[in-house]
Amino acid sequence: MSDTPKPGLAALIKVPQYASLVLLVIVLGTFAALNGDFLSPLNVSNMLAFLPELGIIALGMTLLLTAGEFDLSVGATFGLVPVVVMLLVQNAGVDLGLALVIGLAICVLIGLINGLIVTKIGISSFLVTLSMLMIIRGAALYITQGFPLASWDQPGIFVTLLAGDFYIGPFRVYASIFWFAVLSGLAGYLLNRAKIGNWISAIGSNRNAAVARGVPADKVKVWLFVLTSVLAGLAGMISAFRISTASPVAGTGYELEVIAMVVVGGTALNGGRGTILGTVVGALMLRGIRNGIVLIGVPGLAYNIFVGAVILGMLMLHAALQNSGRKG
Amino acid sequence: MTKDILRISNLRKSFGSVTALKNASFSVGEGEVVALLGDNGAGKSTLIKVISGVYRADSGEIAVNGAVVDIRSTRDAMALGIETIHQDSSLAPDLSIARNLFLGREPVTMGWLGPFAPINQVELREAARTLMQRVGISKRLNADAPVSTLSGGERQSIAISRAMQFAAKLIILDEPTNNLGVEETHGVLRFVREMKAAGHSILFITHNIHHVFQVADRAVIMRRGEVVADLPLAGSDVLKVEGLIMGVDLKAEPAHG
Repeated sequence: MSDTPKPGLAALIKVPQYASLVLLVIVLGTFAALNGDFLSPLNVSNMLAFLPELGIIALGMTLLLTAGEFDLSVGATFGLVPVVVMLLVQNAGVDLGLALVIGLAICVLIGLINGLIVTKIGISSFLVTLSMLMIIRGAALYITQGFPLASWDQPGIFVTLLAGDFYIGPFRVYASIFWFAVLSGLAGYLLNRAKIGNWISAIGSNRNAAVARGVPADKVKVWLFVLTSVLAGLAGMISAFRISTASPVAGTGYELEVIAMVVVGGTALNGGRGTILGTVVGALMLRGIRNGIVLIGVPGLAYNIFVGAVILGMLMLHAALQNSGRKG
Repeated sequence: MTKDILRISNLRKSFGSVTALKNASFSVGEGEVVALLGDNGAGKSTLIKVISGVYRADSGEIAVNGAVVDIRSTRDAMALGIETIHQDSSLAPDLSIARNLFLGREPVTMGWLGPFAPINQVELREAARTLMQRVGISKRLNADAPVSTLSGGERQSIAISRAMQFAAKLIILDEPTNNLGVEETHGVLRFVREMKAAGHSILFITHNIHHVFQVADRAVIMRRGEVVADLPLAGSDVLKVEGLIMGVDLKAEPAHG
């Protein structure tokens, strides 16, 4: 048995989420050194405006991945919910509050269908949620006939709560960053401190062992699917309110970007080990890279090459750390 | 005659057209070590899964402490004092030893929060240390270490000490010595004797007949889903038991024929 790790940088970066944190500082520092505008109030405000939208989904995805499942339908849910809500308000004259409740109900339904098919019929979550992605995206395109909806310019309590903004000194701060902060704290509590977090990790690590101890594995998984869908819908509404429009193709490709954020942060793709701190770092990292790469003058069309390469590098690092810390 | 901790009568379980368990009846007495023997496919695993609440029998009766019970889930079985240690590791490798020891029964504060209640880390660590001390593994192992860093024998020690922790009336060991080295195997057999001495009843499933003679009082032998023999081991021998498992009289045949 190894001794308790000595507190020190060398021991600290052996923990995946701290290794990611160190890399985040390096990445941000590099961009800041290459382009002085990277840390300007305007640019930081911009990055923080985008961050919560993917970050909030990533929180749900972290819990789901830790339990050994994943959800490819989040990007489509992100697109569908605002489209339905705004259609109800604009075309059917439904009150916004009621429309949001209907949007929430749709998220719960999507999560329940995903979760129940995965757990009760035993089809892999990859296939179930891939099919769900196509169904939801298709539904969004069909009900809008493919066009973005007329712009939304009615302020109100919900808009302020989800996408309101104000200035702290020179920084423009959106309400969504507080949602992200609070939800991160809650998710971190659930995973690391609460009883349910122990269950989630155990289910992803060895489902049979968890079930044998009386952990209701299927029930936990179904609710994690529901949670992830609800967070995706919330993120979609935040985004739609912020840019004042809802598009049926919003969120295309977000599922993979979100999964990338989660695994870059140090959560295991095959379950058992999850870290919310790592996911927050991963979200910051991916948004930072996307933003910084443009600022330092990499052509827009080339930037996915860099994003992909950085993700790959991070995963190789985590794999190396994992192998060095484990025996038989 | 000692009191029966577990008595099963005429258990039957089919999967589609396959009948895994036909007519299984036997009992385990208080403080008794019973070995459940049988070749692959004899129905041992199915029987264990029925008793531990993983499967429900199609028909038949299970009585614990003389009272007929309905075991519908693993939770029900644990509540009745039946702890099972499965061969495919009963532990979650990514979790720490302490978290594995109390998986599903985590000590919490603010219990009214249900599954969302915070785990009482101090109590968890303290209870884990006490338990590991009692079974003599606290010196070698750190309760915060992930189970993935342990050897096979150490993992079995953890699983067995967990079963003992909850003062189970009946501990079911499903092939506990599979994939273990010689020294680790002896460690597990020593645990079985200690559990018996501490008053637990044990149902021990194994392929290794020599282990059976070292620790068990009685053998229950299954063939094709049925219990075909139930005999005390005192006065019996390996050849006789092996013959019963295979359904032939080995003693009647030439030894090297």
